Amino acid sequence: MENTLLFVLIFLPFAAAGLCWLVPSGAVRRGVVLVTAALLAAASLGLFGRGAFAATPESLLGLPLNGLITLADFALLLVILGIGLKRKNRWITILTLLQLVPLAIFELTLPEHGPIAPALVIDGLSLIMILVISIVGSLICVFALPYMEAHEQHLHLRSSRQGRFFFFLVLFLGAMNGLVAANNILWAYFFWELTTLCSFALIGHDGGEEATANAVRALVMNLFGGVALVCGIIFLYGAAKTLSIQDVVQAGSLGTMAFVAFALIALAGFTKAAQLPFQSWLLGAMVAPTPVSALLHSSTMVKAGVYIVLRFAPAFAGSAFADCLAVAGGFTFCVATGLALGQSNGKRILAYSTIGNLGLIMACAGIGTPAALAAGMLFIVFHAVSKGLLFLCVGAIEQTIGSRDIEDMRGLYDRMPRTAVITVIGIVTMLLPPFGVLMAKWMAIEAAADNLPVVVLIAMGSALGVVVWGRWAGILMSSSRTKKAWPEAQPALLRWPLAVLAGGAVVLSFLLPAVYASLVAPMLKGPIAGSAGSLASGLAAYLIYPLFLVLAAGFLYAVIAARQARAAVDTVYLAGAQAGPPESPAFTGPMDQPVVVSAGNYYLPSIFGEERLTFPLNVIAVALIIIMAGGALI
Amino acid sequence: MTSILLGILALILAPLAGGLIAGLDRRVTARVQSRFGPPILQPFYDVAKLFGKEPRMGNVWQIFCAYIYLLGAAVSVFLFFAGADLLLLFFVQAIGAVFLVFGALARPSPYSQIGAQRELMQILTYEPLLILVFVGLAKATGSFKVAAIWSHPEPLLLQLPLLYLVLTTALTIKLRKSPFDFSTSHHGHQEIVKGVLTEYSGPYLGLIELAHWYEVVLVLGICALFWSTSLVGLLVLLAVTYAAEIFVDNTMARLTWRWMLGSALLAGLALSFLNLVWLYLA
Amino acid sequence: MLKDFIRSSRAKSPWIIHFDCGSCNGCDIETLACLTPLYDVERFGIVNVGNPKHADVLLVTGTVNHRNKHVLKNLYDQMPSPKAVVAIGACGLTGGVFREAYNVLGGVDKVLPVDVYVPGCPPKPEAIIDGVVLALKKFAEKQQAAG
Ligand code: SF4
Repeated sequence: MENTLLFVLIFLPFAAAGLCWLVPSGAVRRGVVLVTAALLAAASLGLFGRGAFAATPESLLGLPLNGLITLADFALLLVILGIGLKRKNRWITILTLLQLVPLAIFELTLPEHGPIAPALVIDGLSLIMILVISIVGSLICVFALPYMEAHEQHLHLRSSRQGRFFFFLVLFLGAMNGLVAANNILWAYFFWELTTLCSFALIGHDGGEEATANAVRALVMNLFGGVALVCGIIFLYGAAKTLSIQDVVQAGSLGTMAFVAFALIALAGFTKAAQLPFQSWLLGAMVAPTPVSALLHSSTMVKAGVYIVLRFAPAFAGSAFADCLAVAGGFTFCVATGLALGQSNGKRILAYSTIGNLGLIMACAGIGTPAALAAGMLFIVFHAVSKGLLFLCVGAIEQTIGSRDIEDMRGLYDRMPRTAVITVIGIVTMLLPPFGVLMAKWMAIEAAADNLPVVVLIAMGSALGVVVWGRWAGILMSSSRTKKAWPEAQPALLRWPLAVLAGGAVVLSFLLPAVYASLVAPMLKGPIAGSAGSLASGLAAYLIYPLFLVLAAGFLYAVIAARQARAAVDTVYLAGAQAGPPESPAFTGPMDQPVVVSAGNYYLPSIFGEERLTFPLNVIAVALIIIMAGGALI
Repeated sequence: MTSILLGILALILAPLAGGLIAGLDRRVTARVQSRFGPPILQPFYDVAKLFGKEPRMGNVWQIFCAYIYLLGAAVSVFLFFAGADLLLLFFVQAIGAVFLVFGALARPSPYSQIGAQRELMQILTYEPLLILVFVGLAKATGSFKVAAIWSHPEPLLLQLPLLYLVLTTALTIKLRKSPFDFSTSHHGHQEIVKGVLTEYSGPYLGLIELAHWYEVVLVLGICALFWSTSLVGLLVLLAVTYAAEIFVDNTMARLTWRWMLGSALLAGLALSFLNLVWLYLA
Repeated sequence: MLKDFIRSSRAKSPWIIHFDCGSCNGCDIETLACLTPLYDVERFGIVNVGNPKHADVLLVTGTVNHRNKHVLKNLYDQMPSPKAVVAIGACGLTGGVFREAYNVLGGVDKVLPVDVYVPGCPPKPEAIIDGVVLALKKFAEKQQAAG
């Protein structure tokens, strides 16, 4: 049974992707995507509650799997090499060769070529990732169906390129599932490179100069990470004499060589998770159609970066390297949120916020106590749901109002009440208790209490986040309407993923104690102790549920009280000099001409301006990474 | 069980205490300005009057936000007196603070919009400072729980003097006193016709005032944690702190938010850092 | 009981908003003098607010002209009831010395229902305080009449 489920989760997307590519019919594609999405979600839920297990599939369709993956690996690298040669891009070529050559030597000199037992391991962390990838990712694929129709209409394409698009989109899910299930680190490496290729193809999907340039940048940066990963694997094998991730994590002290490997793997994680100074590829990725950004940011790609670091976190917990990693993560959290504050472009805000939140997960991995790792894992889940939702919301809004600037979303409630409310729900679940993201942040702060620089950075970043999110949600609802706003019309496949994700974000937060008990707790060894003592009871059901219920009751009361308020509708205060209808407030100006009221957010460009900050921050980030590498050598 | 009862008791008594403190505050302020001042119960008259006024609203969301502000403030007071986790109750308080901003942004009035932006700047200033104060408390006592901190055998003020200074800075912002009363202000003070409160009137303004009383009790409660060992010490600490707030309120000019970010936040961070380093080394 | 408390609180907490319609500033100075330590109207719970939405009593000084009559009306409309209007000074009452000017409409009662007239050019602060207290009494009567 487990093997079947794993087969569905990893292999089915490959097959479905192939179908999307080969069959040009829109109806078939729609059916394939819907069925794959449903099967993936069902299979991931099927795995849920089965506990940890290992599997070693020997062969696929009669072919030896280990050899197949090795072959595919080289094929993949050759494809990327081909891209580099075709585009005459020196960097792509060099970085691919830097992976190809060491990997070939490594494979040739590898003493044991037999299968690593077990090749796949599913534990709490993998399961969390699989659930996120298969449910949130699938919903995003469903959302992409009507979105891409509208998108291509908008671009006036003569022949549809959706086959290619969905090929990579669905393939991405399979690659991610494979990555998080793999226990043989060479398998993980193959899937890792596959996500790099998929992201390259998807970012550059629309063609055009900017999209191509950004796709190439993403490819180069992630290839750099790939080089780090290959070197990390080689060092790791040198230190631990095994390719099994579980064996490495459980091996205990491994010596300096292993720490060099961890530093290289963390570097690979940093590139994939777009941590400073690698943030530019993720920011550039916004040129892609919205479902791509949603997928990259919430459930795939960047999450692979934090996954690989969290995966190895128990092996280096408590070391000097881990402390440096925590500081680097905290630094990214703080400054990326600060950079988000300086932005008014909705997608850019989301991108910086993703980078920051991933930094927080990196910090959790660095702190390395059971409580911190728990916080990191919970963060992955709740962040994926809320961030996926917010990206889809921005996409839906952009298709209607033609802008992704949050200043243009002022008073969105009047035009798109349903989407506006769902966006506000998404933001509130990112920002406030009793929702999961905040609860995870709470755990992270308490776990970081012993590490002074990290806790200061997290406290500052958290406050910056309040400003970033608070003003956005606030202006969405800014309304001067006097009559009731009617819900906007939307295609069902656009509306339902939004509704499901919004509902899911709320319900999942309510289930936090259950999620914790069933997925996170079994991963952690020993009781949650020490400074996190309050945490074990803090996360207990008897605290979360009453808090949730009291707040929900108050919330309902407020809704009812506000709706039933028999209050006369008031006009806006404009020093008594108002002119014009209440729907468009204006001052009476010179010559009795109306001067329309306008307002804007504070973006503080002199403090948080991207142009000013990016370079110095990147320098600091590089310094932190160098210190981190130094920490590994101690 | 007792802790829950204590919490419920606090839920009922906190507005009374908050109102009385506001009354005393106005009275003392008047004396400082060599005036006579209103009756001690004046804040209760004010709120009762507001509840008796004709309700008017901009839109449903705005009214909803006022209720949630009250909810956040009340639940955080309950959690505090029930001895819950300091960070958790602080984040619950943040629900209220954020919804006050939402409420102000709910209307296109330029005054409330500016007020909301400034309120966000205030949150940006006090939130990291308060989190660091809580971290200091936890570091000194080994727990984030109010109950455990409360039963710490020594006055924490001796270990955390700088963090207490930082806390009073945050307190000044929370109490909306000069020099930090630029998102909205109190009593006779007017700041761009009251910033975040511009578009609220009548009963809804009353709700917000009530929520503010809860918040005052909450911040004073956090101050009280610094001298929880003796009742006299606690009362003296609170009285001196509040008197200092009134003194500062009456002698300081209102600052701009830029100045606040540039000096209050940075100085607060530096002071907290110093105190925490000392704590970590000790 | 709560209703009684609310009703009695109204008279104890009159928040005033002061609008300078077109005064020579004589009346304004006297009005603001009420807030100084010498007169200290806060003794009666009076607070000078800047926003009609928070106010109970509207104090108007100066003449009403064609340009500011809308502003005056708007401010009054934005005050939630129960509310009262006090006209201050000869100008506020009738237009005063400016009555015959081409742009002047006259006193406040040309635009709003005035509850209390405080005469003088300018009236003394004591008279203004007296006017506000009288307005509160009238407002209580109005409440009673309305039931
Ligand atoms: S009444 Fe007299 S003091 Fe008052 S505004 Fe008119 S002229 Fe000036």
